[in-house]
Amino acid sequence: MSTIDPVMTAVLANRIDGVVREMTTTLLRAGRSAVINSARDFSCAICTGDNQLLACAEGLPIHIFGSHMQSRTMVERHPDLAEGDAYLHNDPYTGNTHPADHTFLVPVFFEGEHLFTAVAKAHQADIGNSIPTTYHAAARDVYEEGSLIFPAVRIQRGYKMIDDIVAMCRSRIRVPNQWYGDFLAGLGAARTAERRLQELCAKYGKAIVKTFIKDWLNYSEQRMIEALRKMPKATLKNSARHDPFEPLLPDGIPINIEVEIDPAQAKIFVDLRDNIPNLDCGLNESEACTVSAVMAGIFNALPSDIPRNAGSFRRIELELKDGAVVGRPAFPHSCSVATTNVADRLVNCAGAVFAQLGEGYGLAEGGVGMGGSSSVISGKDHRYNDEPYVNQLILTNNGGPASPLADGWVTYGLPVVSGLMYRDSIEIDELKHPIEFAYMRLVAGSGGAGKMRGAPGSETAFRPKEHSVTVIYPRDGEKYPAKGVQGGQDGLCGEGWHISANGQQTRLANVAHVEIRKNEVLRTFDCSGGGYGDPLARDPRRVLRDVLEGWETVERAGDVYGVVLNGRVEDESLAVDAEATARRRLAAHTS
Amino acid sequence: MAYRISVDTGGTFTDVVVMDSSGTQTIGKALTTPERAFGGMREALDVAARDIGIDLAALLANTALLIYGTTRATNAIVTRTAAKTAFLTTQGFPDTLVFKEGGKLNAHDFSKEYPEPYVARRRTFEIAERMSSEGTASVPFDAVQARGVVEILRQRGIEAVAVCFLWSIANPDHELRMAHLLDELLPGVPYTLSHQLVPIVREYRRASATAIDASLKPLMQRHIRGLESDLRAEGYTGEILISTSVGGIMQVDEVVAAPIHTAKSGPAMAPIAGLTYSRVENLGDDVIVCDTGGTTFDVGLVRDGRLVFNRDTWLGGQWTGNLLGVSSVDVRSIGAGGGSIAWIDDGGLMRVGPQSAGANPGPACYGRGGLLPTVSDAACVLGYFDPDFFLGGRMKLDVAAARQAVGTVATQIGRGIEQTAWDILNLASELMIRAIHEITTSEGLNPQESTIVAGGGAAGMNILSIARELGCKRVILPNVASALSASGMQYADIVKEETASLPTSSARFRYDDVNRVLDDLEGRLHRFLAGLGPHADAAHEIELLAEARYLGQVWELDTKLPVPRLRGPEDVAALMEAFHQVHERVFAVRDLHSPVECINWKARLIVRLAPAAALSPDVAAHDSVIPAASRNCYFGGGDPVATPVYAPADLHPGLTISGPAIVEEPTTTLVVFPGMSARISGAGHYLLDIGVSA
Repeated sequence: MSTIDPVMTAVLANRIDGVVREMTTTLLRAGRSAVINSARDFSCAICTGDNQLLACAEGLPIHIFGSHMQSRTMVERHPDLAEGDAYLHNDPYTGNTHPADHTFLVPVFFEGEHLFTAVAKAHQADIGNSIPTTYHAAARDVYEEGSLIFPAVRIQRGYKMIDDIVAMCRSRIRVPNQWYGDFLAGLGAARTAERRLQELCAKYGKAIVKTFIKDWLNYSEQRMIEALRKMPKATLKNSARHDPFEPLLPDGIPINIEVEIDPAQAKIFVDLRDNIPNLDCGLNESEACTVSAVMAGIFNALPSDIPRNAGSFRRIELELKDGAVVGRPAFPHSCSVATTNVADRLVNCAGAVFAQLGEGYGLAEGGVGMGGSSSVISGKDHRYNDEPYVNQLILTNNGGPASPLADGWVTYGLPVVSGLMYRDSIEIDELKHPIEFAYMRLVAGSGGAGKMRGAPGSETAFRPKEHSVTVIYPRDGEKYPAKGVQGGQDGLCGEGWHISANGQQTRLANVAHVEIRKNEVLRTFDCSGGGYGDPLARDPRRVLRDVLEGWETVERAGDVYGVVLNGRVEDESLAVDAEATARRRLAAHTS
Repeated sequence: MAYRISVDTGGTFTDVVVMDSSGTQTIGKALTTPERAFGGMREALDVAARDIGIDLAALLANTALLIYGTTRATNAIVTRTAAKTAFLTTQGFPDTLVFKEGGKLNAHDFSKEYPEPYVARRRTFEIAERMSSEGTASVPFDAVQARGVVEILRQRGIEAVAVCFLWSIANPDHELRMAHLLDELLPGVPYTLSHQLVPIVREYRRASATAIDASLKPLMQRHIRGLESDLRAEGYTGEILISTSVGGIMQVDEVVAAPIHTAKSGPAMAPIAGLTYSRVENLGDDVIVCDTGGTTFDVGLVRDGRLVFNRDTWLGGQWTGNLLGVSSVDVRSIGAGGGSIAWIDDGGLMRVGPQSAGANPGPACYGRGGLLPTVSDAACVLGYFDPDFFLGGRMKLDVAAARQAVGTVATQIGRGIEQTAWDILNLASELMIRAIHEITTSEGLNPQESTIVAGGGAAGMNILSIARELGCKRVILPNVASALSASGMQYADIVKEETASLPTSSARFRYDDVNRVLDDLEGRLHRFLAGLGPHADAAHEIELLAEARYLGQVWELDTKLPVPRLRGPEDVAALMEAFHQVHERVFAVRDLHSPVECINWKARLIVRLAPAAALSPDVAAHDSVIPAASRNCYFGGGDPVATPVYAPADLHPGLTISGPAIVEEPTTTLVVFPGMSARISGAGHYLLDIGVSA
């Protein structure tokens, strides 16, 4: 291991990190669609001129890997690459996550040399698919999916827009003005990075910057080496299953992973070859999503401040199969839904596998699925002359997984976003759409029990104000829950209900397409997270706090956690009966 | 002689600035006495009075105005030591304060607990009622159920009540009916209604502001009334005003009624000081204000002579802390200061912070048992501080302890102790530079075309290296740098803001509704002005603003109304153009095709109260007279060099000091690096030059 300059490396890493953060701020605040500015479904990164990922501060976990493959595609397809160029890439077969993630690539030149590529990736509200969704689960192939595919096509030359591409998109993408606003925001973010990186090179000179790149990647690798050397040697297997999607996938999708930890070599080998071939639907993983999901799971189980870049990635070797659901997709299989459903299960699977090493390692599984609280709703707005509307709600509230150190994160969302996204405000959602919410609240006793508890799930209900509203969602997590580990219990599954005007409740299928009329209600329960460790080992003070806060019930405190409580919640006199608790826990252990 | 007094009660120190009628400012400092603020304040006033050459009684007798700022509210919020507060919410929505607005710092960090809500669920009560977004009652207010809840509050000994119902901003009827019940059944228990405190759309931020405000009422009423009576008991008969988060000052009654406005009362004053001194030195209206303390580095901005405001002020960490919800001066804080600890991680990289040695044990050089190397230790090793004259001689520094602490890091990276100390200081500067970058880029301000005004006790240590890295050619270290916020209060005006929520779009603009809202906002401000007693006739202005955005965006930008009322399409077009300009400045793009949505409307009254600061007089330039005192200091590269040390007696207006040099003021130390220089202006401030020609 060559030694690095401990100070210059720190200084320049801080600068580079600042550049990525500036890109992020620009895109977040200038972005037009709720997918960007509310759900934060975007990320920014910087690759080196030789197409290695250098930095990706604050990016979504599912976006961390693959931008270097996109920049490589750009370099290979464009031998005449020049300063002032910009490229659009969304091709899942050459490095992108899924077609809805439009990626803006700007090669950054200094003194005539291509030193960096600035990468801004943003999920678009629409990409001109055959049906009005960017998650086309039923698409047989990329043709039925129907999006425009851009395999690193030039959109600017000499800092001037190539209007043909913009015109193509405008004449195909629904709500073209919104798309164009997001297009400008993404391009603006990449151009911001270009300016800052050129300033950096001018200030420090090319030689120092190049040394930094080498040192920073070596440093990141060294951090990974240190972390892996502390792990036990082991070969672990884990599997998971995505819910059935009728009529397409009556058995769901099985997922298998084998992980070998070699502390002597300081390496992790991941074998994903034991997975089924590509399916004739949109749930296939792209290579970028397969790798990102696995990396995200592994990083979840490691110290949280190891930089995510090509240096630390050197220590993780993956074996993928061509033409597999989890692996490298074979053209023309569709990857329309690659960033969420199977990917969410894969993040869970790769993080939880480490829990097999014993207490203190890995983490439980987090809640999955996008149901009624993140459905696409559409209809006519009686308040504005029956103007049509279509939008995705961003109120996803699956509970996070418990870890050895903490209970689950309440606003976790999905494994692939891991709590980074923002939530809609109820008032803003009611302002934008002619619907009214009846409630949105955490459900007591729903978190997967454990020494550390999975976050509770929540329930949400809304009704149309006047005209009926069409609700569409394809949800995972209604059959297979987020699993607990190390003796921790599973979380609860998601559920959707259609409540009629007279109060009759009908359970909805997990792939829902339903019309809710005036005086009817759509109700949804979002999954809770899995627990970590034996519930009987949970600190009674944590159980007490949970009951006082309405996250657990008195009954479950006794039955599941073996904690006996005296007093009342209502007057805050509730307290742990330590002796009775000890007796009850002893009895529970011996029974 | 007539004086004005300003007081900034911080967590550790109480700063006092006394200004006489000629505009001369005198600083007094003392340790803060948290249990009764007046103790520290009297001691600091005493120090200043003695400096002026009078006694405290004479100072108070000759003072007509005292302006007070405090971190008391912020501390109570962050440490959760405010009142036992109940949160009343719409039935079905008990978790508004739990969910917040989402967001998390590190996707892969599962070691942190989810944050506790500002008011616990056990003290959250759902009221059977619901307003629609159109202001109609979807669920009528159930007075019987609500009475039952109030009875529980009474039995539980609740000390303050926050009422935030969904869409109370569209129709306040239910919140008002709740208030009647509280008046009737819980007389004397303070409460806050969300539609009155902060009438903005988005339930979490409104609820958070309401909960914070209610929780502060018992505490801040006691605190401020107590201070008032202590001052009166000491013989002070003049006026007392309180500095607030919107960068203005307010009357005591106003603050007691809405104490949330004191949350940023100290830091919000620093930008006012920054603007004042930049203008005094004729260095323009774009200012970056830096305040370096022991544990935090604060940055604020002034743009085109105006303070920069923000509704996204989090106390206790972005996303996971508590959102202040009210608009306040945008001052961002990072955990970097003299106490930040340097270390080498297991990849061999040097890191500074986020751990801090705090005040106890403090840096190793304080000699209180600290062993870990801090930024202050680095400066001490570099020779920048006089171990026998630190803080004007109030503290002796243990250089050996500092060297030993820095040595632990030096060994790990195989560098000399001085070089390592130099590295630590530069890395700390880097973190500060990034904080400045983040706030300037989010406002579209170019640091190279701005003036830096530096304050805080530790500012002089590295402000010149920060300025050099930013390429900033105009830098001021005011002679009141160590009490920058207190000094800013001297130049603050009375500021009162009124807000209303009225969402409308340029595509279907609600002319009559908007104009009615603007009438109402201005009416409220005029009534406020009329009640200002002695200041009702002072010069004043009212600014009207829309919080606007492009259709579909979620982040609004403050846009000044180009006309007082919007009468027709041409007025709306002018408003849109104003918005396009703001958007382009901040985000570098404008979208002429998109409708513009206006969500909230604001009116801000500014009553001119502050004295005009005189321009810095011209003085004859003096060449540096090298003082006798000198010390070995290290500035990177080879060996330490003998460096002249300037004491107050060596300094006079017009003097130019060439680096390397150390300037020791009683409350701060300025390091002039080789190749740089400092000139003392006619007004007595240090004008710093990074030594790079333009």
